[in-house]
Amino acid sequence: MTSSAVDRVAKFVDDLLQGRRPRRFKASQEEAEAMAAAAGLVAARAGADLPDKAALDRIHRRLSDRLDESPRIDSRFTRRVWLRTLGTAAAAAAVGVVLDEVLTHQSSPGPAVTEEAVLTPDGGQWRPVAAVTQIPEGHAMPVSTGSLDAIVVNDGGQISAVSGTCTHMGCKLQPDDADKRLTCPCHQTAFAWSGKVLYYRLKSAPASLPRIESRVRDGQVELFIV
Amino acid sequence: MGLIAFGAGGVPDPEIANEPQTSIYTDWESVYRDNIVGIYQLAFRRVGNAADAEDLAEDVLIRTLKTLRFPAPVHNVRAYLVKTAKTVLADHWRNHYAAQNVALELEQLPPEGLAGPSSSVASDRAERVLALLPDQFRRVLELRFLKGYSVREVAHELGVTESNARVLQFRALRKAAELEGEVLG
Repeated sequence: MTSSAVDRVAKFVDDLLQGRRPRRFKASQEEAEAMAAAAGLVAARAGADLPDKAALDRIHRRLSDRLDESPRIDSRFTRRVWLRTLGTAAAAAAVGVVLDEVLTHQSSPGPAVTEEAVLTPDGGQWRPVAAVTQIPEGHAMPVSTGSLDAIVVNDGGQISAVSGTCTHMGCKLQPDDADKRLTCPCHQTAFAWSGKVLYYRLKSAPASLPRIESRVRDGQVELFIV
Repeated sequence: MGLIAFGAGGVPDPEIANEPQTSIYTDWESVYRDNIVGIYQLAFRRVGNAADAEDLAEDVLIRTLKTLRFPAPVHNVRAYLVKTAKTVLADHWRNHYAAQNVALELEQLPPEGLAGPSSSVASDRAERVLALLPDQFRRVLELRFLKGYSVREVAHELGVTESNARVLQFRALRKAAELEGEVLG
Protein backbone atom coordinates (compact mmCIF):
# COMPACT_ATOMS: atom_id res chain seq x y z
CA MET A 1 0.00 0.00 0.00
CA THR A 2 1.42 3.35 -1.01
CA SER A 3 0.19 6.79 -0.13
CA SER A 4 -0.62 7.44 -3.77
CA ALA A 5 -2.80 4.32 -3.83
CA VAL A 6 -4.61 5.55 -0.74
CA ASP A 7 -5.11 8.96 -2.33
CA ARG A 8 -6.26 7.59 -5.66
CA VAL A 9 -8.83 5.40 -3.98
CA ALA A 10 -9.90 8.32 -1.77
CA LYS A 11 -10.42 10.44 -4.89
CA PHE A 12 -12.37 7.63 -6.52
CA VAL A 13 -14.61 7.34 -3.45
CA ASP A 14 -15.10 11.11 -3.39
CA ASP A 15 -16.21 11.05 -7.01
CA LEU A 16 -18.69 8.25 -6.38
CA LEU A 17 -20.13 9.93 -3.31
CA GLN A 18 -20.49 13.21 -5.21
CA GLY A 19 -22.25 11.42 -8.06
CA ARG A 20 -19.41 12.11 -10.49
CA ARG A 21 -17.99 9.79 -13.10
CA PRO A 22 -14.51 8.90 -11.79
CA ARG A 23 -11.41 9.46 -13.87
CA ARG A 24 -9.57 6.60 -15.47
CA PHE A 25 -6.23 5.61 -14.00
CA LYS A 26 -4.01 2.59 -13.73
CA ALA A 27 -4.93 0.86 -10.50
CA SER A 28 -3.11 -1.92 -8.71
CA GLN A 29 -5.02 -5.07 -7.92
CA GLU A 30 -5.56 -4.03 -4.32
CA GLU A 31 -6.75 -0.58 -5.33
CA ALA A 32 -9.20 -2.08 -7.81
CA GLU A 33 -10.62 -4.40 -5.18
CA ALA A 34 -11.08 -1.53 -2.74
CA MET A 35 -12.74 0.51 -5.49
CA ALA A 36 -15.13 -2.29 -6.39
CA ALA A 37 -16.10 -2.60 -2.74
CA ALA A 38 -16.70 1.16 -2.65
CA ALA A 39 -18.98 0.89 -5.69
CA GLY A 40 -20.99 -1.81 -3.90
CA LEU A 41 -21.36 0.37 -0.82
CA VAL A 42 -22.49 3.38 -2.82
CA ALA A 43 -25.11 1.18 -4.48
CA ALA A 44 -26.38 0.15 -1.05
CA ARG A 45 -27.75 3.58 -0.30
CA ALA A 46 -31.52 3.63 -0.64
CA GLY A 47 -32.54 3.89 -4.26
CA ALA A 48 -29.02 4.73 -5.42
CA ASP A 49 -28.83 1.94 -7.96
CA LEU A 50 -32.09 2.82 -9.68
CA PRO A 51 -31.91 4.76 -12.93
CA ASP A 52 -33.86 8.00 -13.19
CA LYS A 53 -36.39 8.48 -15.93
CA ALA A 54 -34.13 10.74 -17.97
CA ALA A 55 -31.46 8.03 -18.07
CA LEU A 56 -33.99 5.43 -19.20
CA ASP A 57 -35.25 7.78 -21.89
CA ARG A 58 -31.72 8.40 -23.14
CA ILE A 59 -30.92 4.70 -23.26
CA HIS A 60 -34.17 3.96 -25.06
CA ARG A 61 -33.56 6.69 -27.59
CA ARG A 62 -30.04 5.52 -28.34
CA LEU A 63 -31.16 1.91 -28.64
CA SER A 64 -33.86 2.96 -31.07
CA ASP A 65 -31.33 4.83 -33.15
CA ARG A 66 -28.83 2.04 -33.22
CA LEU A 67 -31.08 -0.97 -33.54
CA ASP A 68 -33.10 0.49 -36.33
CA GLU A 69 -30.12 -0.02 -38.60
CA SER A 70 -30.23 -3.73 -37.97
CA PRO A 71 -32.59 -5.52 -40.34
CA ARG A 72 -33.07 -8.32 -37.81
CA ILE A 73 -34.97 -6.16 -35.42
CA ASP A 74 -38.61 -5.39 -35.71
CA SER A 75 -38.48 -1.68 -36.31
CA ARG A 76 -42.14 -0.82 -36.41
CA PHE A 77 -41.90 1.24 -33.27
CA THR A 78 -38.54 2.82 -33.69
CA ARG A 79 -38.01 6.46 -33.91
CA ARG A 80 -36.56 6.66 -37.36
CA VAL A 81 -39.72 5.31 -38.89
CA TRP A 82 -41.63 7.83 -36.88
CA LEU A 83 -39.32 10.53 -38.20
CA ARG A 84 -39.74 9.37 -41.75
CA THR A 85 -43.50 9.43 -41.53
CA LEU A 86 -43.77 12.80 -39.87
CA GLY A 87 -40.94 14.23 -41.95
CA THR A 88 -42.66 13.37 -45.21
CA ALA A 89 -45.94 14.85 -44.06
CA ALA A 90 -44.28 18.01 -42.86
CA ALA A 91 -42.32 18.38 -46.06
CA ALA A 92 -45.39 17.87 -48.22
CA ALA A 93 -47.29 20.48 -46.25
CA ALA A 94 -44.50 22.98 -46.53
CA VAL A 95 -43.12 22.31 -49.97
CA GLY A 96 -42.91 26.01 -50.80
CA VAL A 97 -40.88 26.69 -47.72
CA VAL A 98 -38.58 23.82 -48.53
CA LEU A 99 -37.92 25.14 -52.02
CA ASP A 100 -37.21 28.59 -50.64
CA GLU A 101 -34.78 27.13 -48.20
CA VAL A 102 -32.98 25.16 -50.90
CA LEU A 103 -32.59 28.24 -53.08
CA THR A 104 -31.43 30.38 -50.22
CA HIS A 105 -28.78 27.93 -49.28
CA GLN A 106 -27.25 27.49 -52.70
CA SER A 107 -24.99 30.42 -51.99
CA SER A 108 -23.89 29.10 -48.64
CA PRO A 109 -20.24 28.17 -48.15
CA GLY A 110 -19.58 24.78 -49.66
CA PRO A 111 -17.52 22.61 -47.38
CA ALA A 112 -18.94 22.18 -43.93
CA VAL A 113 -15.64 22.84 -42.23
CA THR A 114 -15.30 26.56 -42.79
CA GLU A 115 -16.14 29.12 -40.16
CA GLU A 116 -19.90 29.61 -39.82
CA ALA A 117 -20.58 26.72 -42.18
CA VAL A 118 -24.17 25.64 -42.57
CA LEU A 119 -24.94 22.06 -43.40
CA THR A 120 -27.21 22.03 -46.44
CA PRO A 121 -27.62 18.47 -47.59
CA ASP A 122 -28.71 17.61 -51.14
CA GLY A 123 -32.30 16.53 -51.02
CA GLY A 124 -32.68 17.85 -47.50
CA GLN A 125 -36.08 18.07 -45.90
CA TRP A 126 -37.48 19.50 -42.71
CA ARG A 127 -37.67 16.62 -40.33
CA PRO A 128 -38.96 16.72 -36.77
CA VAL A 129 -36.43 15.45 -34.27
CA ALA A 130 -37.88 16.37 -30.90
CA ALA A 131 -40.75 18.08 -29.18
CA VAL A 132 -39.91 21.62 -28.11
CA THR A 133 -40.97 20.71 -24.60
CA GLN A 134 -38.14 18.18 -24.45
CA ILE A 135 -35.60 20.98 -24.67
CA PRO A 136 -36.14 23.55 -21.94
CA GLU A 137 -34.27 26.84 -21.89
CA GLY A 138 -30.59 26.47 -21.16
CA HIS A 139 -30.58 22.89 -22.35
CA ALA A 140 -28.84 21.15 -25.24
CA MET A 141 -30.06 17.78 -26.46
CA PRO A 142 -28.27 15.34 -28.76
CA VAL A 143 -30.45 13.84 -31.45
CA SER A 144 -29.55 11.20 -33.94
CA THR A 145 -31.44 10.95 -37.19
CA GLY A 146 -29.85 8.02 -38.94
CA SER A 147 -27.96 10.28 -41.34
CA LEU A 148 -26.29 12.48 -38.76
CA ASP A 149 -25.87 13.33 -35.10
CA ALA A 150 -26.96 16.81 -34.17
CA ILE A 151 -27.32 18.80 -31.00
CA VAL A 152 -30.39 20.96 -30.60
CA VAL A 153 -29.92 23.91 -28.29
CA ASN A 154 -32.40 26.12 -26.51
CA ASP A 155 -30.53 29.30 -25.66
CA GLY A 156 -32.88 31.70 -23.93
CA GLY A 157 -35.88 30.41 -25.87
CA GLN A 158 -34.04 30.50 -29.20
CA ILE A 159 -33.77 27.07 -30.80
CA SER A 160 -30.74 26.28 -32.95
CA ALA A 161 -28.80 23.20 -33.96
CA VAL A 162 -25.25 22.24 -34.75
CA SER A 163 -23.56 19.03 -35.78
CA GLY A 164 -23.07 16.69 -32.84
CA THR A 165 -19.81 15.29 -34.19
CA CYS A 166 -16.41 16.69 -33.24
CA THR A 167 -14.66 18.19 -36.26
CA HIS A 168 -11.35 16.74 -35.15
CA MET A 169 -11.78 12.96 -35.25
CA GLY A 170 -15.52 12.44 -35.27
CA CYS A 171 -16.24 11.58 -31.65
CA LYS A 172 -19.75 12.27 -30.38
CA LEU A 173 -20.02 15.57 -28.51
CA GLN A 174 -21.57 15.70 -25.07
CA PRO A 175 -23.59 18.69 -23.87
CA ASP A 176 -22.45 20.46 -20.74
CA ASP A 177 -25.45 22.65 -19.94
CA ALA A 178 -23.86 24.28 -16.90
CA ASP A 179 -21.16 25.87 -19.06
CA LYS A 180 -23.25 26.09 -22.21
CA ARG A 181 -20.72 24.09 -24.14
CA LEU A 182 -20.39 20.86 -26.05
CA THR A 183 -17.38 18.82 -25.12
CA CYS A 184 -15.58 16.09 -26.97
CA PRO A 185 -14.95 13.00 -24.85
CA CYS A 186 -11.90 12.06 -26.94
CA HIS A 187 -9.58 15.09 -26.73
CA GLN A 188 -11.38 17.55 -24.46
CA THR A 189 -12.17 19.98 -27.27
CA ALA A 190 -15.02 22.27 -26.29
CA PHE A 191 -17.41 24.08 -28.59
CA ALA A 192 -19.86 26.87 -27.86
CA TRP A 193 -23.52 26.25 -28.59
CA SER A 194 -22.99 28.34 -31.72
CA GLY A 195 -20.46 25.79 -32.95
CA LYS A 196 -17.44 28.01 -32.30
CA VAL A 197 -14.36 26.35 -30.82
CA LEU A 198 -13.82 27.41 -27.21
CA TYR A 199 -11.00 25.16 -26.13
CA TYR A 200 -8.68 22.60 -27.66
CA ARG A 201 -5.49 20.79 -26.85
CA LEU A 202 -4.54 19.82 -30.38
CA LYS A 203 -1.71 20.97 -32.61
CA SER A 204 -4.04 23.17 -34.57
CA ALA A 205 -7.51 24.51 -34.00
CA PRO A 206 -10.28 22.22 -35.19
CA ALA A 207 -12.99 23.69 -37.43
CA SER A 208 -16.18 25.11 -35.99
CA LEU A 209 -19.19 22.83 -35.91
CA PRO A 210 -21.41 23.18 -38.97
CA ARG A 211 -24.73 24.71 -38.09
CA ILE A 212 -27.88 22.88 -39.07
CA GLU A 213 -30.92 24.81 -40.13
CA SER A 214 -33.69 24.47 -37.60
CA ARG A 215 -37.21 25.71 -37.02
CA VAL A 216 -40.17 25.02 -34.77
CA ARG A 217 -43.48 23.82 -36.24
CA ASP A 218 -46.47 22.60 -34.28
CA GLY A 219 -44.47 22.12 -31.16
CA GLN A 220 -41.83 20.07 -32.98
CA VAL A 221 -38.23 21.06 -33.54
CA GLU A 222 -37.44 20.38 -37.18
CA LEU A 223 -34.02 20.19 -38.79
CA PHE A 224 -33.26 20.57 -42.46
CA ILE A 225 -31.57 17.29 -43.12
CA VAL A 226 -31.65 14.22 -45.31
CA MET B 1 -38.60 -19.75 -36.78
CA GLY B 2 -35.16 -20.39 -35.46
CA LEU B 3 -34.60 -19.57 -31.85
CA ILE B 4 -31.48 -17.92 -30.63
CA ALA B 5 -28.22 -19.75 -30.63
CA PHE B 6 -25.67 -18.28 -28.28
CA GLY B 7 -22.65 -20.08 -29.59
CA ALA B 8 -20.60 -22.79 -28.03
CA GLY B 9 -20.74 -23.44 -24.35
CA GLY B 10 -24.50 -23.13 -24.07
CA VAL B 11 -26.38 -20.91 -21.73
CA PRO B 12 -27.17 -21.50 -18.10
CA ASP B 13 -30.83 -22.10 -17.57
CA PRO B 14 -31.75 -20.01 -14.56
CA GLU B 15 -34.93 -20.67 -12.71
CA ILE B 16 -37.15 -17.73 -13.08
CA ALA B 17 -39.58 -17.52 -10.23
CA ASN B 18 -41.88 -15.03 -11.79
CA GLU B 19 -41.53 -14.63 -15.50
CA PRO B 20 -42.82 -11.64 -17.37
CA GLN B 21 -46.23 -12.13 -18.95
CA THR B 22 -44.90 -13.94 -21.94
CA SER B 23 -42.13 -16.50 -22.07
CA ILE B 24 -41.10 -15.43 -25.55
CA TYR B 25 -39.74 -12.05 -26.55
CA THR B 26 -40.80 -10.99 -30.01
CA ASP B 27 -39.22 -7.54 -30.23
CA TRP B 28 -36.43 -5.54 -28.69
CA GLU B 29 -38.80 -3.15 -26.96
CA SER B 30 -40.04 -5.84 -24.63
CA VAL B 31 -36.51 -7.02 -23.87
CA TYR B 32 -35.68 -3.43 -23.01
CA ARG B 33 -38.81 -2.91 -20.93
CA ASP B 34 -38.39 -6.02 -18.81
CA ASN B 35 -34.68 -5.85 -18.23
CA ILE B 36 -33.24 -2.38 -18.44
CA VAL B 37 -33.65 -1.58 -14.76
CA GLY B 38 -32.13 -4.89 -13.66
CA ILE B 39 -29.17 -4.46 -16.01
CA TYR B 40 -28.64 -0.88 -14.86
CA GLN B 41 -28.63 -2.07 -11.26
CA LEU B 42 -26.11 -4.82 -11.99
CA ALA B 43 -23.88 -2.23 -13.62
CA PHE B 44 -24.35 0.38 -10.92
CA ARG B 45 -23.34 -2.05 -8.19
CA ARG B 46 -20.04 -2.66 -9.97
CA VAL B 47 -19.20 0.96 -10.86
CA GLY B 48 -21.00 3.03 -8.23
CA ASN B 49 -21.90 5.96 -10.46
CA ALA B 50 -24.83 6.77 -12.68
CA ALA B 51 -22.94 8.01 -15.74
CA ASP B 52 -20.95 4.81 -16.17
CA ALA B 53 -23.92 2.63 -15.23
CA GLU B 54 -26.00 4.26 -17.96
CA ASP B 55 -23.35 3.74 -20.63
CA LEU B 56 -22.70 0.17 -19.56
CA ALA B 57 -26.37 -0.78 -19.39
CA GLU B 58 -26.83 0.55 -22.89
CA ASP B 59 -23.80 -1.35 -24.08
CA VAL B 60 -25.07 -4.62 -22.57
CA LEU B 61 -28.47 -4.17 -24.20
CA ILE B 62 -27.11 -3.24 -27.59
CA ARG B 63 -24.63 -6.10 -27.71
CA THR B 64 -27.28 -8.58 -26.70
CA LEU B 65 -29.94 -7.24 -29.02
CA LYS B 66 -27.65 -7.18 -32.01
CA THR B 67 -27.02 -10.89 -31.55
CA LEU B 68 -30.59 -11.92 -30.92
CA ARG B 69 -33.04 -13.25 -33.41
CA PHE B 70 -36.66 -12.99 -32.50
CA PRO B 71 -38.72 -14.70 -31.25
CA ALA B 72 -36.44 -15.62 -28.36
CA PRO B 73 -37.24 -17.43 -25.11
CA VAL B 74 -37.23 -15.10 -22.13
CA HIS B 75 -34.97 -17.21 -19.93
CA ASN B 76 -32.35 -17.49 -22.67
CA VAL B 77 -32.37 -13.78 -23.29
CA ARG B 78 -32.01 -12.97 -19.62
CA ALA B 79 -29.20 -15.42 -19.11
CA TYR B 80 -27.46 -13.99 -22.12
CA LEU B 81 -27.93 -10.45 -20.80
CA VAL B 82 -26.19 -11.40 -17.56
CA LYS B 83 -23.40 -13.12 -19.43
CA THR B 84 -22.93 -10.07 -21.63
CA ALA B 85 -23.02 -7.79 -18.58
CA LYS B 86 -20.19 -9.76 -17.08
CA THR B 87 -18.04 -9.26 -20.18
CA VAL B 88 -18.91 -5.59 -20.50
CA LEU B 89 -18.17 -4.88 -16.82
CA ALA B 90 -14.90 -6.80 -16.87
CA ASP B 91 -13.89 -4.80 -19.96
CA HIS B 92 -14.81 -1.59 -18.17
CA TRP B 93 -12.57 -2.36 -15.22
CA ARG B 94 -9.76 -3.47 -17.47
CA ASN B 95 -9.95 -0.46 -19.77
CA HIS B 96 -10.48 2.19 -17.11
CA TYR B 97 -8.31 0.94 -14.30
CA ALA B 98 -6.11 -1.78 -15.84
CA ALA B 99 -7.72 -4.15 -13.36
CA GLN B 100 -7.63 -7.78 -14.43
CA ASN B 101 -9.36 -9.74 -11.75
CA VAL B 102 -12.00 -7.68 -10.09
CA ALA B 103 -14.56 -10.07 -8.66
CA LEU B 104 -17.55 -9.92 -10.92
CA GLU B 105 -19.85 -12.64 -9.78
CA LEU B 106 -23.15 -11.41 -11.07
CA GLU B 107 -26.43 -12.49 -9.62
CA GLN B 108 -29.26 -13.37 -11.97
CA LEU B 109 -31.50 -10.59 -13.11
CA PRO B 110 -34.47 -9.89 -10.91
CA PRO B 111 -37.47 -11.38 -12.66
CA GLU B 112 -39.85 -8.52 -12.10
CA GLY B 113 -38.69 -6.34 -14.92
CA LEU B 114 -39.39 -2.66 -14.73
CA ALA B 115 -41.37 -2.97 -11.55
CA GLY B 116 -38.18 -4.40 -10.08
CA PRO B 117 -36.87 -4.18 -6.57
CA SER B 118 -35.12 -1.21 -5.09
CA SER B 119 -31.54 -1.54 -4.05
CA SER B 120 -32.27 -4.36 -1.62
CA VAL B 121 -29.68 -6.71 -3.11
CA ALA B 122 -26.93 -4.15 -2.66
CA SER B 123 -28.00 -3.09 0.82
CA ASP B 124 -28.43 -6.64 2.11
CA ARG B 125 -24.98 -7.48 0.95
CA ALA B 126 -23.47 -4.29 2.35
CA GLU B 127 -25.12 -4.92 5.70
CA ARG B 128 -23.69 -8.39 5.93
CA VAL B 129 -20.23 -7.19 4.99
CA LEU B 130 -20.31 -4.27 7.41
CA ALA B 131 -21.42 -6.54 10.24
CA LEU B 132 -18.31 -8.67 9.76
CA LEU B 133 -15.84 -5.80 9.76
CA PRO B 134 -13.73 -4.83 12.77
CA ASP B 135 -15.27 -1.89 14.64
CA GLN B 136 -13.10 0.93 13.41
CA PHE B 137 -13.31 -0.15 9.78
CA ARG B 138 -17.07 -0.49 10.01
CA ARG B 139 -17.34 2.94 11.55
CA VAL B 140 -15.33 4.60 8.78
CA LEU B 141 -17.41 3.00 6.04
CA GLU B 142 -20.73 3.68 7.74
CA LEU B 143 -19.89 7.34 8.26
CA ARG B 144 -18.55 7.78 4.79
CA PHE B 145 -20.97 5.74 2.68
CA LEU B 146 -24.17 5.58 4.67
CA LYS B 147 -24.08 8.94 6.42
CA GLY B 148 -22.23 10.82 3.68
CA TYR B 149 -19.50 12.26 5.91
CA SER B 150 -16.49 13.84 4.19
CA VAL B 151 -13.03 12.48 4.97
CA ARG B 152 -12.45 15.53 7.15
CA GLU B 153 -15.63 14.90 9.13
CA VAL B 154 -14.73 11.24 9.53
CA ALA B 155 -11.28 12.24 10.80
CA HIS B 156 -12.85 14.62 13.28
CA GLU B 157 -15.36 12.05 14.46
CA LEU B 158 -12.71 9.40 14.99
CA GLY B 159 -10.08 11.76 16.39
CA VAL B 160 -7.47 10.98 13.74
CA THR B 161 -5.77 13.05 11.04
CA GLU B 162 -7.29 13.31 7.61
CA SER B 163 -4.53 11.28 6.04
CA ASN B 164 -5.08 8.60 8.67
CA ALA B 165 -8.76 8.65 7.85
CA ARG B 166 -7.93 8.08 4.19
CA VAL B 167 -5.67 5.16 5.07
CA LEU B 168 -8.38 3.70 7.30
CA GLN B 169 -10.88 4.06 4.49
CA PHE B 170 -8.55 2.27 2.11
CA ARG B 171 -7.89 -0.59 4.52
CA ALA B 172 -11.56 -0.89 5.41
CA LEU B 173 -12.48 -1.13 1.74
CA ARG B 174 -9.81 -3.77 1.17
CA LYS B 175 -11.18 -5.76 4.07
CA ALA B 176 -14.72 -5.29 2.82
CA ALA B 177 -13.68 -6.60 -0.59
CA GLU B 178 -12.21 -9.67 1.06
CA LEU B 179 -15.32 -10.25 3.14
CA GLU B 180 -17.58 -9.69 0.18
CA GLY B 181 -15.96 -12.67 -1.46
CA GLU B 182 -16.82 -14.73 1.60
CA VAL B 183 -20.36 -13.41 1.87
CA LEU B 184 -21.00 -14.22 -1.76
CA GLY B 185 -19.15 -17.51 -1.58
